[in-house]
Amino acid sequence: MLRASILRARAPIRSIAPAAAPQWRVARRFFADDKKTGETAIPNPAPSTTPSNPTPSASVGSPSTNLPKPPPVSRSAPVEQPETTPPTGTGSASVAPDPVQAPKPKKRRFRRFLIQLMILSALGYVGGVYYSLVSDNFHDFFTEYVPFGEDAVAYFEERELRKRLPGRAGLPRLHSHPEGGSKVTIPSNHGLSSRVAEEADLASKGPHVSAVADNKAAAPHSNDGPKVGSNKTPQEVKKESSDTTEASSHSLLPKVTPQAEPKKEVAAPVPEPAKPVAPIDHLAVGSATEPVVQDVVKIINDLITVINTDQAGSKYGSALEKAKSDLGKVVSDINTLKASTQKDAEEKVKSAHAEFDQAAKELVRRLEVQMQDQETHWKEEYENERERLSQTYREKLQAELDAAQRVYDQKLKNELLEQSISLQRSFAASVRERVEAEREGRLGRLNELSSSVHELEKLTAEWNSVVDANLRTQHLVVAVEAVKSALENQVIPKPFITELSALKEIAADDPVVSAAIASINPAAYQRGIPNSAQLIDRFRRVAAEVRKAALLPEDAGVASHLASLAMSKVLFKKSGLAIGQDVEAVLARAEVLLEEGDLDNAAREVNGLQGWAKVLSKDWLAECRRVLEVRQALDVIATEARLQSLLVEG
Amino acid sequence: MADETSKSVTPVIKTSRPMSEALLNEKWDRCLSSFLIRSGLGLSFGIVFSVLLFKRRAWPAYVGLGFGAGRAWEECDNSFKRAAAPSKDGLRVVRP
Repeated sequence: MLRASILRARAPIRSIAPAAAPQWRVARRFFADDKKTGETAIPNPAPSTTPSNPTPSASVGSPSTNLPKPPPVSRSAPVEQPETTPPTGTGSASVAPDPVQAPKPKKRRFRRFLIQLMILSALGYVGGVYYSLVSDNFHDFFTEYVPFGEDAVAYFEERELRKRLPGRAGLPRLHSHPEGGSKVTIPSNHGLSSRVAEEADLASKGPHVSAVADNKAAAPHSNDGPKVGSNKTPQEVKKESSDTTEASSHSLLPKVTPQAEPKKEVAAPVPEPAKPVAPIDHLAVGSATEPVVQDVVKIINDLITVINTDQAGSKYGSALEKAKSDLGKVVSDINTLKASTQKDAEEKVKSAHAEFDQAAKELVRRLEVQMQDQETHWKEEYENERERLSQTYREKLQAELDAAQRVYDQKLKNELLEQSISLQRSFAASVRERVEAEREGRLGRLNELSSSVHELEKLTAEWNSVVDANLRTQHLVVAVEAVKSALENQVIPKPFITELSALKEIAADDPVVSAAIASINPAAYQRGIPNSAQLIDRFRRVAAEVRKAALLPEDAGVASHLASLAMSKVLFKKSGLAIGQDVEAVLARAEVLLEEGDLDNAAREVNGLQGWAKVLSKDWLAECRRVLEVRQALDVIATEARLQSLLVEG
Repeated sequence: MADETSKSVTPVIKTSRPMSEALLNEKWDRCLSSFLIRSGLGLSFGIVFSVLLFKRRAWPAYVGLGFGAGRAWEECDNSFKRAAAPSKDGLRVVRP
């Protein structure tokens, strides 16, 4: 069943393979495509694994279809291979077609590659050429770097140029080739060349028609045909043709020649062509200077020649004669007309000359007049200007003179005024002198009186001041006493600011008193000071404490303090004026001094203490000092008061 | 009159600074109080430790007491020594 499905899947291949070939080989070939050729021993494992369900097998087969089918060339190969090789080699047999295929595409590929390369390069070249025609930048690049690019571009440019300017198609290219240089070919018939073709047209105007001087030169060269312009050829022709015409021609000749000779115009002796009947003379108008007339004469001459050649002179003779005479008339008319016009022109020129002369004279005259006018005008202006200038200068001079005069006048006036002022001043001074001298006599006595009054007043004032000073000193003393009593009679220290302020008021601005008060420590009168009894009391308390610390060493700790505390209890007390510098002796002396009332010395003694003793007695010492200060200040004030009273009395 | 004046004066006399003669006494007071407090604290810590850690042995309590007392002694000693030297309050210290 599985095999059938595989076969179904491989239908095309099976058709190719011969019917005799075993089926497993066919199936195995596909796996051989995928895998290496060596593993061909196991025949188709897929069907063995899944024999039960057919659909998976189909699915297994279908991926194999996706594998690249061998190309038609290879189709024949597997058919041949199995026959030649043993069954084991079948795997390689399926791959066999590949090496056959490989060389062919390789060759072709190379060829194709070459072809493509060529095509591409050609296309690129063409594109480059085209683009270089369009863009200048690319043109430069292309011509410089691409081989043969310059040639190609130049060729196309030339073509384009030729297309644009078709007239110069034959010209050599504009770009001179760098190597070849400019190739200029000079044609063979360049420069001077004989002109032969001119002889052909007789009708055109030329020396053969009108010039007499050419006659001799042209004669030998004349060749074919009757030449109208030439003199001798018609005669030769005439001789050849016939003699009969001679008479008539001779008769006509003298008519024409005299006219032609003097005027040197057209070929005067018009040789009569061989005319059987009556050859008509050529017209010869002497005065045909006008080109129009010449043309007419030429036309008629042509007509005549034609007629002569036709031998129809008899027919048109009269008409031509008439025409000739008419023409002569016309010519004469023209001449007369010309003469008249010339005369008119000359007259006009003369009149114009005269006019111009007149005009010129007029112009010259007018110019002269104008110049004269201008001259006079300028002269006048010059005069005026001079006048004006002189006027202004005169005015200025006048003004200057006036100013100088005025200044001088003013100066004189000023001098006069000064003189008068000095005179007045001297007069006033003399008057005052007189008056003063008069006055002093009387006022001198008045002054004496007033000075004596002043002295009296001064005396009284002095006495008043003395009384006042007395009063003041009295008040001062009283105030001092009040302060002292206040300090002595206090139970506890209290401030004595009021008393002190009263004392200061009374003393007014006595420098000594104010200095003494200033010397007192402010703390003293603000808090008050203790009296002597209080001081002694406090000293006793302090002394007890000091005694406790009497035995302390320099840097005492707790232990030494304890020891001192204990030992001080068993110390013997000193009394009276003890001798020695130990604490106990100092305290005893201080106490004695205090009791005597010598506060100053007591303080001195206590101040001599050292270490803890001094620290403990510091406050008491400060208090002592304050008290001493106050006492000293009060003493000073009292002394001052006494001194004041003494001074007043003195 | 005297009463009035004393009343009015007393606040003036009172100062924050102790009298100089009471300086030592004050120090002694402080030392004693600190001795009591610190030794008590050390003792109580020692007791607590002995109860908690040392199976109610006696020596931790003594050790704590010793610590407290020693500390108090040291502080006291320090304060006495410092006070002996003149105070440097209000003086400028010039360092080299």
